[in-house]
Amino acid sequence: MNDLSQIKKTLLIGIGNNGRSDDALGWKFLDEFSGREDLYDFEYRYQLQIEDSELVSRYETVIFVDASHEKLEKGFSFYTCLPAPTSAFTTHQLAPETVLWLTGELFDAPPKGYVMAISGIEWKLHFGLSNQAKKNFKNAIAYFKKEESSIV
Amino acid sequence: MKKKITIDPVTRVEGHGRVTIHLDEYGKVEDSFFHIVEFRGFERFIQGHPYWEAPVLVQRLCGICPVSHHLAAAKAIDQLVGVDPKDLSPAAFKLRKLMHYGQIFQSHALHFYYLTSPDLLFGMDAPVEKRNVLAVAVENKELARKGILMRKFGQEIIQAIAGKKIHGVAAVPGGVHKTFDPKEREYFLSGKDIPNIKTMIEWSLEIIEFIKGYHEKNRLLLDTFAAFPSGHLGMVDDFGNMELYHGKLRAIDSIGNITLPDVSTDDYQKYFLEGVERWSYMKFPYLKEIGREKGWNRVGPLARINICNAIPTPLAEKERQAFVSFTGKKVNNSTLYSHWARLIEILHCAEVMNDLLHDDEIMSDDLVREGKPRLEGIGIIEAPRGTLTHHYQVDEKGMITRCNLIVSTTHNNEAMNQAVKWVANNVISQKGAITDGMLNQVEVAIRAYDPCLSCATQALGQMPLKLELYNHIGELIDERFKSN
Repeated sequence: MNDLSQIKKTLLIGIGNNGRSDDALGWKFLDEFSGREDLYDFEYRYQLQIEDSELVSRYETVIFVDASHEKLEKGFSFYTCLPAPTSAFTTHQLAPETVLWLTGELFDAPPKGYVMAISGIEWKLHFGLSNQAKKNFKNAIAYFKKEESSIV
Repeated sequence: MKKKITIDPVTRVEGHGRVTIHLDEYGKVEDSFFHIVEFRGFERFIQGHPYWEAPVLVQRLCGICPVSHHLAAAKAIDQLVGVDPKDLSPAAFKLRKLMHYGQIFQSHALHFYYLTSPDLLFGMDAPVEKRNVLAVAVENKELARKGILMRKFGQEIIQAIAGKKIHGVAAVPGGVHKTFDPKEREYFLSGKDIPNIKTMIEWSLEIIEFIKGYHEKNRLLLDTFAAFPSGHLGMVDDFGNMELYHGKLRAIDSIGNITLPDVSTDDYQKYFLEGVERWSYMKFPYLKEIGREKGWNRVGPLARINICNAIPTPLAEKERQAFVSFTGKKVNNSTLYSHWARLIEILHCAEVMNDLLHDDEIMSDDLVREGKPRLEGIGIIEAPRGTLTHHYQVDEKGMITRCNLIVSTTHNNEAMNQAVKWVANNVISQKGAITDGMLNQVEVAIRAYDPCLSCATQALGQMPLKLELYNHIGELIDERFKSN
């Protein structure tokens, strides 16, 4: 439950599962910013759900952070997320683009959206990142911290 | 000629389902089966774990109703530490009840607004791209918006008590580990941050009006679609009123005769057996005394409304009376009325949450009781989809040696098979090929009972629904496959 009377400007949503090796990247990214509650609110999620469209409507900026199966050039990719309906979804998970689209349809103008995708390698039942994912994570954090003031 | 058609995307049924329909030489349906072909086996792998882990582990059966599994297991675990439901502290009882009614509220909202409403708004034959909540968001924004906010309200009640919306932990052996604080209560009552509980009651009444309007225009469909006689099972309180957290088991037959007369949940084994079929991993529970063929029961909202004498909250009771008046107070055996019944329960849950949120006892710190340990515990609860049983035996070190779970979907197994048979006989028989609309009607029939098949066999993840048509010599002549 967020204290909505003191809502922050930016919402960081980490998507993943820390019991599934590199799928922990999204959550770990949020951990890195703990102590920065003055600037961020944090949501740790296994998946995005329909109700998140209402939650993000309360923010100016939302950043979705997730592990990616893709081998990304720098080990990560940070890009603008534009609202878009996607037809293939279950009740259990939505794409970030769809969450923003639903926000626009049902609640308010959607916030500024970004996706931070970080390449993962291992997805087995295991606590802890693979060595390659650790490197990718480090690069993603370094990039984000450098660009942070222009993003949020 | 055999042909294969793939439908993408899958819509609104989670779990692994397969339907086979067998035709005779004239193309008439001879038989049909609804198979659950995925197996995970929680009952087995929970053995050897300490009993206090059970309420946490079993939540992983489901992402929609984890609270129901958590609380059913918690009730069983209470008994293992010598605490029966009547021995819980008032605060623990009320906090569990608040979480449980929040759970049913949010689950019913998901079931109706996200999964069912597209069929009602756009029709069963609507194009597949319209049969989802995104299309509802475009064409009926208010309905979609309220559905989302209602689900969110229920989830936030759960989060306030269990720490998380999904897979949180509230119950401990003999009680709960956290109380409500005044700030949390204010959050749900004030309406400053989110629409408050009074708004939830108003919106529940509104959505009941919506389904009444639908009923007025589509009464023949509601009366006839997948209508068949069956038993009905659920829980009632000492006065025979609807009870969802703890009560006695009552069952009636299709014309209202009592077949299970308000018995203690602790005695369920005296009355129930589970049958198995070679073509499904899901079992078929039935009343021993009546037998496998006729002793099966529907469970869930329609069954609960059929079996109870009354609903113990005023607005929902008024709606129940309106509901039963359409059948002249006879038992309602029509599948699609489940949705209307579900909405009456949404209202009931909102009223109960309202009462509990105004009860100062939810802020008490008298949370845990102790008793004399036992080796066996049984917890039965009314989950959103129906009666849910958790039963554990432990050794003297507290390690689980036996576990029996009868989930709501399992009780509804025969009913879902009957519903599929109805669609096969009335929609597909002698048509020669399967159309997309036909397939959706099979799903509509299943979805009325349960949008999530995973927990019945404890299946992992989302699986496809497959429909196969066989001719009289057993050749596959048509199939439809819905995948992600």
